[in-house]
Amino acid sequence: MTALTIHVPRLNDAHDDFIAMAKIWREVDAAGDGAEVSFDFSRCWFLQPNAVVFLGGLGRVIGHRGGKARFLVGTMIDRVRVNLLQNGFAHALGAETTPWQGNSIPYREYFTQEEDGIAQDLRKNWLGRGWISVSQALANELVGQMWELFANAFEHSDTPVGVFSCGQYFKNRCVLTLAVADFGVGIPSNVRLHLRQPDLSAADALRWAFQRGTSTSTRKGPRGVGLDLLKELVRTNKGEMLVYSHDGCVRIDHRGETYENSQPFFEGTLVQLRLLCDDKHYMLSNELAAKCAVPFF
Amino acid sequence: MHINVKELVGENAMTLDDGDAIYARIHGPLTKGDTVELDFDGVQVFASPFFNAGIGRLLGELTTDALNARLKFAHLSDFGARLLRRVIENAKNYYAAPTDQQHAIDRIVHDNAIAA
Repeated sequence: MTALTIHVPRLNDAHDDFIAMAKIWREVDAAGDGAEVSFDFSRCWFLQPNAVVFLGGLGRVIGHRGGKARFLVGTMIDRVRVNLLQNGFAHALGAETTPWQGNSIPYREYFTQEEDGIAQDLRKNWLGRGWISVSQALANELVGQMWELFANAFEHSDTPVGVFSCGQYFKNRCVLTLAVADFGVGIPSNVRLHLRQPDLSAADALRWAFQRGTSTSTRKGPRGVGLDLLKELVRTNKGEMLVYSHDGCVRIDHRGETYENSQPFFEGTLVQLRLLCDDKHYMLSNELAAKCAVPFF
Repeated sequence: MHINVKELVGENAMTLDDGDAIYARIHGPLTKGDTVELDFDGVQVFASPFFNAGIGRLLGELTTDALNARLKFAHLSDFGARLLRRVIENAKNYYAAPTDQQHAIDRIVHDNAIAA
């Protein structure tokens, strides 16, 4: 049995941080099935939610492969330890301390597509904390749009260990983030298989997947609206969506969309949404009034 | 025919399974020429998989005139209506694709489903 110690660095959400996560993934992957992996946090002084879902999911992947993941609490500085206790990460992975309310949106592990539970979590822990002043109707709208992330992860990824989410409210910047990760096959692989183009670059595969009307769904019939809705939300809000999926990455904000090839990240997809907590940026339902007399079909 | 959507799928109308449940109830009556009203009273959250599975695929079987005449919506929230229009627009494009292209797409999808 292989024993491996990973030194987790500070993990933010810049490109270099994703490269650092990719390096961690490759080390764990190279250790093979049944490895005992210890995560040492003595060099880490900050973890963004994207890193939290990555590490949580990675721990489950190690377990799924017959190994054991140990998150060495004794190596954590107070700030990191308190964050992981408060957001429920530590509790989900075996610690006795139950999470408490703070600026974190709780770490969650969903093993099935439990729509009512996910909707309730989003409504209560993400939107219901008063960080964004939104009406009930708008909250429901945002929950529906966030659900598209989870629906994609469950339907397309074939993840063996579930879907992971976590978020954070950054009061000084008035920014709300939500990260969702799966450890499935990744979007580029799905698109290559679907289009029977094994040589398609990751950037082109992602560009195809993010067009309106395209989908790798195995069901017949029209699909491919969900990601388009999310793009619209990000543009309207002047927010940002980062997607790292195996060997490609996407960045979408109000300035446009960037698709790039990257070194292989991990076998799955990590999405991070960053939204501004200013309700003047939420104007999603206004366009309906002019259309209400038009027939639906 | 009046259908209370909340009774069928609950207050969150989001998944393909939710949409399938609606489609199963309305597909037969609509193709026979009956009028159906979907009442969304009490439904809080909508997402595109629900509308794709429940409504969008009807456009592959019925004309827009028939659907406008026979399928009615009540108590649909602003966002629900906006999302439904988006899904319908997308479904129209899908079914307007040349038949050969549609068959090719469906064949690829079918083959991949078998391979999986």
